[in-house]
Amino acid sequence: MRVRRTKLECVILSAALVAIGVWAAPDRASRLVSVQQLPDGSDWCMADESSATNPSSPSPDEKILFSALRRDPYSTLVFAAQFTTPNVAEQERQAAEARAHGARTPVRTIRDTAPTYSAIAVDVNSNEVILQDNNLWEYLVFDRLAPTPTRSDEITQPKRIVKGDKTLIEFNNGLYVDPVSGDIFSVESDTGDKMVRFPRAAEGDVAPKAVLHTPHRVYNLAADEARQEIFATIEFPPQVVIYRKDASGEEKPLRTIEGDDTGLDAPHGIAVDEKDQLLFVSTWGHHSNFRIAGTGRWYPPAIKVYPLAAKGNVKPLRVITGDRTQLDWPAAMKFNPSNGDLYVANDIGQSVILFANAAKLQGDVPPARVIHGPSTRLRNPTGVALDLTHQELWVSNLGNSSATVYPLMANGDVPPLRIIRSAEESKRGVNFGRTAAVTYDPIRQEILVPN
Amino acid sequence: MNHPQIAIFARSAKEDTPYLRSIEGQKSLLGRTMHDIAFDAIHDELVVTSPLAQAILSFRGAANGEEAPLRAIQGDKTQIKGVGATGKVSIDPIHNEIFLASPDQAILVFDRMANGNVAPKRILSGPDTQLSLGEQREGGGNVPCIRIDPIHNLLLVPVGGYGGGKVLIFDRTASGNTPPKAVIQGPVRMGNQFEIYAPKLRLITHTRNNIEIWKIPESGVSTEAPLKIPAPLGRQSGDIGIVLDPLHKEVIIATAAGNNIMTFSVPEVFDDWPAGGPLTSAAPVR
Repeated sequence: MRVRRTKLECVILSAALVAIGVWAAPDRASRLVSVQQLPDGSDWCMADESSATNPSSPSPDEKILFSALRRDPYSTLVFAAQFTTPNVAEQERQAAEARAHGARTPVRTIRDTAPTYSAIAVDVNSNEVILQDNNLWEYLVFDRLAPTPTRSDEITQPKRIVKGDKTLIEFNNGLYVDPVSGDIFSVESDTGDKMVRFPRAAEGDVAPKAVLHTPHRVYNLAADEARQEIFATIEFPPQVVIYRKDASGEEKPLRTIEGDDTGLDAPHGIAVDEKDQLLFVSTWGHHSNFRIAGTGRWYPPAIKVYPLAAKGNVKPLRVITGDRTQLDWPAAMKFNPSNGDLYVANDIGQSVILFANAAKLQGDVPPARVIHGPSTRLRNPTGVALDLTHQELWVSNLGNSSATVYPLMANGDVPPLRIIRSAEESKRGVNFGRTAAVTYDPIRQEILVPN
Repeated sequence: MNHPQIAIFARSAKEDTPYLRSIEGQKSLLGRTMHDIAFDAIHDELVVTSPLAQAILSFRGAANGEEAPLRAIQGDKTQIKGVGATGKVSIDPIHNEIFLASPDQAILVFDRMANGNVAPKRILSGPDTQLSLGEQREGGGNVPCIRIDPIHNLLLVPVGGYGGGKVLIFDRTASGNTPPKAVIQGPVRMGNQFEIYAPKLRLITHTRNNIEIWKIPESGVSTEAPLKIPAPLGRQSGDIGIVLDPLHKEVIIATAAGNNIMTFSVPEVFDDWPAGGPLTSAAPVR
């Protein structure tokens, strides 16, 4: 009988299946032996947004199993396999095999074969730049001083790539690098609802050193290094969740910021100001209570400022919003503690906007500096990173498979100091972010793809 | 979903072909996650939801860049509910109506020209309808795609989820507690979207591995099996999108986790079938 299982049950049962394989191994070592693909066609383990109707009860045996595993959720075996793998390689293999046996092959495929860089971080200790690829489900590590490719068709070679089913990376979006250990934190915006953590030197198809189950729809990460806390924005239901930086498994947040008074209307970027003990969150303005019909509305985009220790349904201390701010789908943010500047990757504004003295700002204030224009090579910037050691500002460009670096105090239509490029110079990415719907315009013979 | 644009490509686009234009930005009012989208070729408009803001948006067919919608249905009179569950919208351009499935187990029907805080013109809901449209949960949940056959005046509503369920078939204008007039018994598996080819009374889904073509009954319960055409996608997930291009006899698939758009030539969807059904070149993928 086919049953609808909760996500936790899916996770637990997946773990149990793997556990059987582990215990069956001759040396009974706690290692992952194999992950079997679950029967295709069931409604098993659908992502939350994908699941549907008609729950059925699990079998008596499954109830016993779920109950037992819930009592000991952190056992080695369960923990080792509590997150399902993307299973990309197996899916591709099965498709190729079916086509070889006469299955229909697509006559055309629209896809991006280059990375889509959604976020960026700098590790000044290793002199490396880390780029989050939301399209091919990987992150790439580059030399910070890699020269700009000289030929238009040349690309920058990465030092390392972390990619593959073992990494558990899928739709990875938010990125944080520990300034001391160099550990890389990667969080996804859909499907698997998890944050994975790798050591600095990780390379290839390797398992993460830690996995944390997060809420659905995470966008971005920031950290309070003094308190060893990591912050994540959740687009909806809107909230900021704060975990111990070393949290893993099913560990719960230390606290959350959520509720009608918070003004967290589709939160995206997040930045920590440890000096002034403040938290900055950018919002797009989409508002509703999913429990109550007809509560939807839109507010202007904004940056909301909270006490760093805020908890629960707290009002922001200050709100930066209005036409003069130039905010337009504001994405990642970074705070410069040495001078109080707040940098904002301004996706649709095709700019990086900089608010000086951000801890004190309020209302409809213009940015102090704006990096924008054709010389900047910015295209859909969604990630920013500050290298205060070398006084550089790094930007990841969602729209052209590149990262561009500028002087920290750059302003106006300035060319980048260097460019990391993972596609030809003229690249324009398709910016797909999970193609789950499509329609066709027969008038213009065009395909319309929403993200 | 981290960049909730609507990208528009030439039909002939292939790998790494940039989009021709994109609807995006604050003025567009778009947001994550658009699980359905409909094009109205009669009035040259497109319809989509803005789930996080519980709204239905209508844009010009040629909308480009940071363009505001022509109309937005939103507010307490609308009865629009949910976030993931607000994702599915359909349009009947002939009869000027927009359909939205609600996690309150109702089909809301709006006038196509409705704008602002307006009530639905009719609601299909009640125990006799057999509607089971999913539920809104914390952080997730979804409702099924619905489609309208304006030629035969049918409204098609799946129940039972991606894993396979029935498809209830109502009169297009059904309202209140009205039972379905026909049922495809199934199990009909599908992703985020399914499509119909109204001239031939066919329902088309993609089930991760196969394109399935079902006959749509106008009355009674159909237990007829579908025609299955193997068409695997490689990297993908269950919430697949699908649309038809009748002129070129193609089926266009959005592969969800595959993050791409695949076009298959499937004349079987559009052509008359010889007695005994069309021949296929391979066994269905299990």
